[in-house]
Amino acid sequence: MKIKEGFILREAAGKTMVIAVGPAMQSFSGIITLNAPSVFLWRILEKGATEEELVSALLNEYDVSKEVAEKDVKDFVAKLVSANIVI
Amino acid sequence: MPKYKIADVIFETEHIYDYVPKEIKGYLYTENAPAELTINLRQEDIDFEKNLAPDIEDKFLESIALYRKLCDYILLNKQGLIFHCSAIAVGSNAYLFTAPSGTGKSTHAKLWRNLLGDRAVMINDDKPIIRYIDGDFYVYGTPWDGKHHLSTNARAKIKGICRIAQAKDNKIVPITPSEMLITVLTQTALPKDEKQATELFNLIDKLLGTVKLYHLDCNISEDTAKLSYNTMTGDNL
Repeated sequence: MKIKEGFILREAAGKTMVIAVGPAMQSFSGIITLNAPSVFLWRILEKGATEEELVSALLNEYDVSKEVAEKDVKDFVAKLVSANIVI
Repeated sequence: MPKYKIADVIFETEHIYDYVPKEIKGYLYTENAPAELTINLRQEDIDFEKNLAPDIEDKFLESIALYRKLCDYILLNKQGLIFHCSAIAVGSNAYLFTAPSGTGKSTHAKLWRNLLGDRAVMINDDKPIIRYIDGDFYVYGTPWDGKHHLSTNARAKIKGICRIAQAKDNKIVPITPSEMLITVLTQTALPKDEKQATELFNLIDKLLGTVKLYHLDCNISEDTAKLSYNTMTGDNL
């Protein structure tokens, strides 16, 4: 899966947020705040990755168990899917 | 073509309806400096606004379109942004009250005017423009000034921004930039492209790091104005 065209990250006041620009604004008008691991996953998803690839990237970067990494990826992906941000 | 000056930007405008020049006539500019831009308003601009506010007449929507286009220019060229708030000046300093529509920012601004009389000047009760100039943020009056039409063609240096929530008892606390962030983002125009996004988030980051930030729980008593005024200005009424 991959982040759709028009969804971008911007930072202010120490927070990183997802917003939609251009045609993507038609379907998404909100703001999503991401924590650091989510930003890390987002950057990978901008290029495209499978859930398995996200889990192993997370395990490489953060000191977490496989179970926690799998759950974090699953939750994050579910959030992106429900907001219709990934293809 | 008549020239106008809003937020220290001199411009001309080509419009469809006669309402626009009537609404902005308080900002006519009659000196010699040239206009730095011409804002062309077309049916497509009105249609864009109609999408957001279908019940409003075209002539009013055209005026909102002018505000949006002016702010787009200011965002990309002048380090400035739209900020939906009630802005009051006391002397050369300004204090901004922000909240979702209907929460009572105009009411709170009115309490300040009751408390301070002529010392409180309404810069704008709805849609002022904020600009970053030489390390400080200024709020400018605009003709888009809310249902009570309270505004002044002037600017003042922003000292504080206060978010308002309705409550039974009055209480004001300082808050951090990250606590104010979403409030500010929901009271400005979200960017239409990546370039606007970069400018807007940089500006908001600077704004939140420059001015003092507060959260006020308040009712509509006179005490609440005294509390926010004394806290935000350091005065002691």
